[in-house]
Amino acid sequence: MLNRSSGVWICVALAIGAVLFALLATNPYYTSLVVWILTNAVLASALRFVLQIGELNIATAAFFGIGAYTAAITAVLFGWPFWLTLVLAPLVAATLSALFGWVTLRAKGPYFLLISFAVTEVIRLIYTQTNAIGGNSGLVGMFPPMAIDAYYPALAVALLAATLFALYGVERSDLGRMFMAIKNNDAIPRSVGLNVVFLKVLCVVIAAAAVGLAGGLHAYANNVIAPADFTYFVAILALAYVKIGGEGHPFGPVLGAAVLTLVGQWVAGISAWENIFYGAVIVATVLAFPGGLVGLATRARSLVIRSGQ
Amino acid sequence: MSAAASAPTGGEVLLRAERLERRFGGLTAISDFSFELREGEILGLIGPNGAGKSTTFNLISGFIRPSSGRLVVMGRDVTGASAMTISRLGLVRTFQHNSLLSEMSVIDNILIGTYHHRSGHERRMEKVREVAGMTGLTDHLKAIAGNLPHGLQRMLSIAIALAAEPRILCLDEPLTGLQGAEVGAALDLFEALRTTHGLTILLVEHNMRAVMRACDRVIVLNYGRLLAEGSPEAVSRDEAVIEAYLGRGR
Repeated sequence: MLNRSSGVWICVALAIGAVLFALLATNPYYTSLVVWILTNAVLASALRFVLQIGELNIATAAFFGIGAYTAAITAVLFGWPFWLTLVLAPLVAATLSALFGWVTLRAKGPYFLLISFAVTEVIRLIYTQTNAIGGNSGLVGMFPPMAIDAYYPALAVALLAATLFALYGVERSDLGRMFMAIKNNDAIPRSVGLNVVFLKVLCVVIAAAAVGLAGGLHAYANNVIAPADFTYFVAILALAYVKIGGEGHPFGPVLGAAVLTLVGQWVAGISAWENIFYGAVIVATVLAFPGGLVGLATRARSLVIRSGQ
Repeated sequence: MSAAASAPTGGEVLLRAERLERRFGGLTAISDFSFELREGEILGLIGPNGAGKSTTFNLISGFIRPSSGRLVVMGRDVTGASAMTISRLGLVRTFQHNSLLSEMSVIDNILIGTYHHRSGHERRMEKVREVAGMTGLTDHLKAIAGNLPHGLQRMLSIAIALAAEPRILCLDEPLTGLQGAEVGAALDLFEALRTTHGLTILLVEHNMRAVMRACDRVIVLNYGRLLAEGSPEAVSRDEAVIEAYLGRGR
């Protein structure tokens, strides 16, 4: 039987494996694919993180973009040092998300979802209309310093994996329990003196910091960013990763991101059919195995255990 | 006659409602409602369905705001204050429906009650065990709250409130659906909370026999207004109260 701590150790081993792979693999296609998988895993995990308080935050895509633009603007336009830009990416995303959360989190469910969708698209339109940051074509030329250029994929994978563990750590903490209580029945935490609005904002801020860092790392990994990379569709794909991997388990979004990103490499060849494929997979998953891949594995294991008795 | 004059003993006033009024659109749910809750007493709040008992609970716990009137808790004016503020002053309520975190374990439910105090994990767990012991939940700590039998669910909702270490406990129909022996045990718990833990209790309840047994004093609401108040015996003989519950006879 797999208990929780052995599960964590397996994930640590997987993370170390991914870092070593990014360090040692010589084919740049594979190293950038590993970075992309981890980036998507952070996006999906951050989306699921806010689902803990029962809200679907489409603006996850916006804060990913804000992280990327922060790193790109400070690096390319201001010429600030690499490490500083990487610190600023999550910081700016978190600060703006606090403002966003404070205003919007009084709304719930479909209302919050629609507002977060609108905010994402408005921010994207601001990028396209601002010539100073490249308008529609975006920004080019974010490069890691020469000294670490060769190790950059490994660095990115390590930081992204650390972000995933940090999100997991918060979920397992007292704070995670309060988030869960808010989703389950927010009248109870209110009745015993908890500041529910503050806690909800905090949840959104933590998730935004995570995707902000991922955005900054993405800017350096890709060397070029454009407004079209940060539409609401980024969050829809993240939702697909969450649903297919399994929403009930912290490893679900990571697994979903890995599987779908790899499959995506193949369906990218079928162009217009790509989005139809993703849509079909989401619908099929939700209908056929609502627990996602992790839920499927758990069910299979309990079947094996039962038949073994 | 004022509330103070009919209070059993001259304990400190912990909660004072002055001419509370609450309107929902054109409907006036509560109007001109004044009462006091004194330290150490068990005050019953009764009235026919729709009399405004739940609205009163939502008003004094900060879940809704009064249209007019004044609310004082622990000597502080909390008119219009949030549920968080009022709860942190020491007035904690339970709920008639959806009274717990149904998808979470009993431990997690009670832990939620402890979080507004600064404290370490060990101290919190100590509190969980203490409260679980008082409410008969010791053997069910790992169970999912929604799977507990009904009687234990009612106890758990009280346990969550107790974990927040209130001075005033407001119980919204805590006996609904309990079996005979469970009612007795719950009433014993209320009495123990008052005598050994120094709690002051406001009890909304439909079970009249239990109200008569548990409460020092009873206030009766009808159509959002104070209809009567006094000792349980006096209230149960009051002509206006009998008429409100049973309708005009003959």
